[in-house]
Formats: sequence, C-alpha cells, structure tokens
Amino acid sequence: MRRCLECAQKEPDRACVDCQYFIQPSPLRRVPSSPVRVLLEDGYGKQYPARILVLSTTEFGLETEAPVPGRYVIRLQENLWVEVAGVSFKGKNNVHLFDILCVHRKQETARRLSREEYQLLAGSTGELIYEVTRHLPEHLQDLVREKLLAEVEKSELINALKVGVVMKYESGRFRFLSGQADLGLPMEETEKLMRQAIRQAEHRREVIISADGKKVFDLHCVPFDYRSGGLLALDITGVIEKERKMHRQEMQVYREAIAAVTGGRLYLVGSGEIEKVVSEGMELARGEVRQSRDIPEARRAMREALPVLDSRRQHAIALCLTEALANALKHAGGGCWQARQSGDTVRIIVQDRGPGIKTSELTRATLMQHYSTKNSLGCGFTLMLYYADRLYLNTGSSGTVLILDFGIMPAEGLTGLNQ
Amino acid sequence: MLKVDVYVDRGVCRLVLNGELDMETVVQMQEAVGKVKEHTLEIDLSGVSFVDSTGLKSLLDISNEWRQKGGRMLVLRPQPDVAEVMRLVGLDGLLAQDTALAGEER
Repeated sequence: MRRCLECAQKEPDRACVDCQYFIQPSPLRRVPSSPVRVLLEDGYGKQYPARILVLSTTEFGLETEAPVPGRYVIRLQENLWVEVAGVSFKGKNNVHLFDILCVHRKQETARRLSREEYQLLAGSTGELIYEVTRHLPEHLQDLVREKLLAEVEKSELINALKVGVVMKYESGRFRFLSGQADLGLPMEETEKLMRQAIRQAEHRREVIISADGKKVFDLHCVPFDYRSGGLLALDITGVIEKERKMHRQEMQVYREAIAAVTGGRLYLVGSGEIEKVVSEGMELARGEVRQSRDIPEARRAMREALPVLDSRRQHAIALCLTEALANALKHAGGGCWQARQSGDTVRIIVQDRGPGIKTSELTRATLMQHYSTKNSLGCGFTLMLYYADRLYLNTGSSGTVLILDFGIMPAEGLTGLNQ
Repeated sequence: MLKVDVYVDRGVCRLVLNGELDMETVVQMQEAVGKVKEHTLEIDLSGVSFVDSTGLKSLLDISNEWRQKGGRMLVLRPQPDVAEVMRLVGLDGLLAQDTALAGEER
C-alpha cells in the first residue's frame, strides 16, 4: 500500500490501471477495453459520474471526483446494485480503488460480483454495448446502456455473445461498426425490426431465423433518435444447436435405459418413425375421448371391431386401451384412439395434444413395478408394459403418441414379462 | 355399467358388484361403501368382468381406510383376468385366501 503514496509523489503520471499494486494481478483482474460508465451515489443521494478503469470480482478501480474515503452505491441495473467504499491510500489524483462491500441482487446479497455480473462489466457484452451506444448524444448514453444491458442479461445468452455484429442504422441504411461483418443477417427483417424500434422509441428484441433456416439470431434494436438506432445482432445458432444436441443425447440415454429395463419392449421413437408405425396395417376402429364416460364406449367399440380372440387377450387389450385413454384424459384433457390390424398384430394407437410426458417421469413410470397410491400413471404404465408385446412412445411439447402392439396368436407364449 | 347390491348379515356387509369397475363407475362403489356401518366389508367381484387402474386404486383406498379404523375388508371371487391384474399391481393381499380365484386353482 505504500506504493500508491510513493507513486503519487514519484511517478504522478503513471496510470493506476497499469500498476499491479492497484488491483492485485489475478486471472480475474480485467481492464475493460473501454471504461464502463457508472454513477456513484452517496448516502445523501448526491451523484458522481465515474468510469470503471479496471476491476476484479471484489474491487473496482474508478476514475471519479467522488470524495475518498467514502461509501457509495453503484446501480448497475434495476435489480442489481453494489455498495463500495473508496480506499484513500490506493490510487492517486481522481483514480482510486473501491472495495466492493456488498452486491445486492433482487433475491439476495453477496460479498462479490457473480460470474455473470463480472462478465457483464468486463466481458464482451459491456464492450459491444459500449460500441452500440458510443455515437449517442452524451446525455442518452447511460440510459440506453443501462436498458440494453438489462435486456441482454435477460436474454441469458451472455456466454454466447462472442459471435455478433454491431451496426448503426441511419437514414435507411445500416453501417457496420464492429464484430463479424459476414454474419448473414436477414437484412429485410432486421430493418423492419429497427424501424419498429425507432417508430416506437423503444428497445426491440426478437429472435429470428435466417431464410435458409440454418441460423438463429438474437436481435436487439436500440433507437437513438427519430431516424437512427443501433443494432446488436448475436448469432445464437451454436447455443441452440448445443441445447438440441444435449436433448438428443439425453433422449438417447433414456431410450437405452428404458429399452433395457423393459426387456426391449418399450421404444421411445422420433416423430418421423412414429408416423410410419401409425400408418401400417388396416384400420379396425377409431374414436375420440373427451370425458370419462367416453372410455367404456371406446372399449365397447374396440371389442366389436377386434377379430375373435381368447378372452384373456381381449381383456388385456381392453385394459391397455382404457389405461392409455385415462392417461390422455388426465394429462391432456382427452385424445383420439385407433385400433389397427397388421398381420398377426393388433395395434392400439392413442394420441393426444397435451404437454407431453417428462422424460424423468417416464423413467419413473416405466420402472415402477408395483402399485403406487400416489401415481396412478405408474400403475397404468405397469399394466400396459405387462400386457402389450411392444410399445412405441413419442412424446413432446406438441403431444404424445402411444402405440401398443398385441400379438393375436394363441395367448400362451406371447404375454411378455414373467413374474 | 355397474350394478351394486348390498347384503348385511351379522356384522358383515357384502357388496356384490356386477358389470365393469372403472373410472366411470368407481363412484358407485365408493358411494355404497360410504354407507357401510359394519366392521367387516366384503366386496364380491364375481360379476365384474373388467377393473381398470382407477378401480384398483379405489379398492386399495377402501382397504386402507378399513384397516385404519380397525375393520376388515376383503375382495371375494374375482374373475381370472381381474385376479391377474390385482396380482400384477400387488393387490392380491386383499383377496380372501379361501376364495382367491373364482372357480380356478392357484
């Protein structure tokens, strides 16, 4: 600490930002490429403009006229403010070190900045936002930046902001400022959004997909005045692709686990595959269920349409249809059913447009061998797994399709799981 | 469709069900059970050709309720298909030993 006082006398021109005694060198010490503008507010509400020259998760190096020592609050966003205390013996002139005493978030307080908050100030987001707003009239900059920062944080894509482009829109034309020029933005739609933002004098955000369907962009349009604005475009294709990939991998794991525990009789299949299975064979009967009294009706209609079977098999098919329809009724408010025949197989198809079965729930339901008082889905599934020779399931946010196959050779030897 | 007949004899109430016990008809059985005052409840399923998981759950609930108040509840003479389903979901404990299966050996 003696260095700062010494330095102030001996090397008054040396910038604190470059001095390792000012903020200890560490991987988290960052010098924003452009200083981040903030406002310090003291206990009486008096405000001092300041610029963050250097920061870590626990300290700020600020350029400000605010008296040091002293305690201040920095409002980074509506729900995020930081309490700091100036350290008089660290720094010189109007540059001083400020310890972060407390970070207030909407739900909690902390002693240091979170990774996201730190990145927001230090990382590419802050820089991009600074770029977008650099050409703004001075008095608008802070306001617009704060709004934009909040919006970008809301988009929860901070980690993906590396690929992006910043442009300025003026008199009907976009001018490239920084970032990746050949991002392949659909300019027509981008301009439309920009015009909306300018007309409504409001920040506009939209996620759009390129014409070839291969790229996904997160667009932020910030109006500057009645004829110009800034555009921040982020290519989030990678993020979405990664999410999809993770989902696919997750499904694959479930698929294998479920096939294993059901002795290879329950298949989780994609929508393409299920369509193929649905259309095989010839239709015997079909119907719709909207209330519980439709279920015995469906059972009756199906029994009449089935070929002649031994009573045990017929009972099993009726029970499975009932359980599948009861699930559709309970979780999706109803559904459609079909009975089809293809060679020696009777196929029951139950389709609904509900919210889908969660994969985690599905594992639980399929693993549950015995009756649960709480979970009658588990019971229904147990029964279906026992009686059907093969099950296909396709479930997602647009609905669930369950297909149950029953061999109609003499019942012995076809009844699957033995206990 | 479900028909529920009630017979009371020396502290034993026997409900004789005929038809299908499912989501739609289970309430009829529950209503009849709600009026039973006797210590022992027997539910005769010999005339029931079909029981779904809602029906099974209701049988389990009734059994738990009877056990809690110190009474006795038994399921009598289920048809083979129904008995198989009960065994499958672990409800065979509700079956009276001597009449576990109607007309069939175990």
